[in-house]
Amino acid sequence: MSMNVKDKKEIVNDSQLLKEISKGLINKLKKMGVSEEVVFDVHVGFEEALRNAMIHGNRSHPEKKVRIETEITDNYVSITVEDEGEGFDIGNLPDPTVGENLLKESGRGVYLIKHLMDEVKYEEGGSRVIMRKYFSTKA
Amino acid sequence: MHINMEEKNGVSVCYVQGDIDINSSPEVKKYFEQVTREKKDKIVINFKDVNYVDSSGLATLVDVLKKMRAYGGVLKLSNLSEKVMGLFEITKLNKLFVIVQEEADALSSF
Repeated sequence: MSMNVKDKKEIVNDSQLLKEISKGLINKLKKMGVSEEVVFDVHVGFEEALRNAMIHGNRSHPEKKVRIETEITDNYVSITVEDEGEGFDIGNLPDPTVGENLLKESGRGVYLIKHLMDEVKYEEGGSRVIMRKYFSTKA
Repeated sequence: MHINMEEKNGVSVCYVQGDIDINSSPEVKKYFEQVTREKKDKIVINFKDVNYVDSSGLATLVDVLKKMRAYGGVLKLSNLSEKVMGLFEITKLNKLFVIVQEEADALSSF
């Protein structure tokens, strides 16, 4: 029997909640027998997306909300994170890996998401990110 | 998150226990602000008990490196797990930091 577990929630814009939210998803993947490598990548990708939404999108505004949708199947996890900010131009972000940018303290979150997840797309002018990671579970 | 420092042959070895992430980064930053204020010039951060680092953790480490470079100090990172090392490789921070396999390699190469 194939699995498809969907979850949808809206949380307040509090970065203290970030770890708690990601832990729920991470623990589900671990229980399914997803490899440590994949779990690590999803863990970082999910938390970076939440952090971007709360701090950059919603500008740490306590009244704003972050909407999260997750879907877990037998061979992938899909995560949507949406903030209430104005979005950003994904094509206009400086590459954090070149020249002086290496010494900058910001700009690595979006880059990590892009490299750790298998599919990443931005909608609503950048205020919604949809990402997916594929895996195979142990028999 | 906990940091413990040991002096070994003139090198300050910092053992970090726990994640270096959005929650612990302010504490890590504060700890190393004190260390760099004392201008310790040879530091090894041992990652053997660090399982998770995020972009705020990476930013904190870049900040430590910059502060040390300003007074001519040398920072080395050792004992990174494969997964944490992967983050340094993706972000090319492995080119910026001196990263060695074992703490002993770091201590013998100052």
